[in-house]
Amino acid sequence: MLEFLGTVGANIIGLPGILGLALGMMTRRIWLGAVMGGLVGIFETLVFAHWDFTKFGASDLLIAVVIGLCAGSLGSVIRIKGATV
Amino acid sequence: MADSPEKRGWIGRIWNAIWTPAVMFSSGFLILAGFLAGILFWGGFHWTLELTNTEEFCTSCHTMETNLGEYRETIHYSNHSGVRAICSDCHVPHEWNHKIKAKIMAVKDVYHELAGTISTPEKYEEHRLSMASAVWKKMKASDSRECRNCHNFDYMDFTIQETRAASEHQRAIDNNMTCIDCHQGIAHSLPPDYLEEYQKVTEEVASESNGSLPQQIADGSEEIRSYLTTQAD
Repeated sequence: MLEFLGTVGANIIGLPGILGLALGMMTRRIWLGAVMGGLVGIFETLVFAHWDFTKFGASDLLIAVVIGLCAGSLGSVIRIKGATV
Repeated sequence: MADSPEKRGWIGRIWNAIWTPAVMFSSGFLILAGFLAGILFWGGFHWTLELTNTEEFCTSCHTMETNLGEYRETIHYSNHSGVRAICSDCHVPHEWNHKIKAKIMAVKDVYHELAGTISTPEKYEEHRLSMASAVWKKMKASDSRECRNCHNFDYMDFTIQETRAASEHQRAIDNNMTCIDCHQGIAHSLPPDYLEEYQKVTEEVASESNGSLPQQIADGSEEIRSYLTTQAD
């Protein structure tokens, strides 16, 4: 449980959360924001594993992608709600 | 029908203000102000995080006194070169993602301090094996990532190491072993039956990683520990 919470927290204030949110805010299409966030999640996991596929678990990748998807979607919602352009 | 602004509570008014376009500030002003606020926030956040990496912070809890006393007897605290590895050097990863994960997981230490899980020497000894085991598992799974922040096989000159150390390090490279395979107990006292527990840890980690990690413990690990303790004296 602690491992799970730690991974979620690290991703929220890591690249998937922050860059995912920022990329999501660049579009009004929620699906596009989510996809960009998800890709950041994949990218981040690979970067911190030094591009070695044996150095991370499927759960780490899954959590990073889900956080990226959520952050990207939230970014797009913020764009829709908070901008007129 | 939505309430009029006058009827809204303070939360509603703040929410409304957040999503109302700014008319009194230019875009340039808002971007610059946001940028500066971001720098201040991030700098403050990072600075605070670094404060939690200090030895004073780590050992400010009563339950950390035993660990501190043991660590002060080792080569990582006092040595001929004057280089010191403090708690965070071995227990906190450097890379951002791993570091934040470790910091969040360290909240458990606060809980156990408050709960008094290891508040007496007897309780500490009772939990020593499980605490050591948890750290070994992390180190084994990460290929001793925190050790490798300072130590690296690539940087070792085996010709100036003692013969046995050079031979063991060469064997470690040949067998794809990792630092913690031999150096358990390098900074804290070892619990009884630690070798059996370490074997369990290696098997557990290997099964989680589909057997890709080695499951070896160096021969003569007792000699290595005794050598390192002697060096610290």
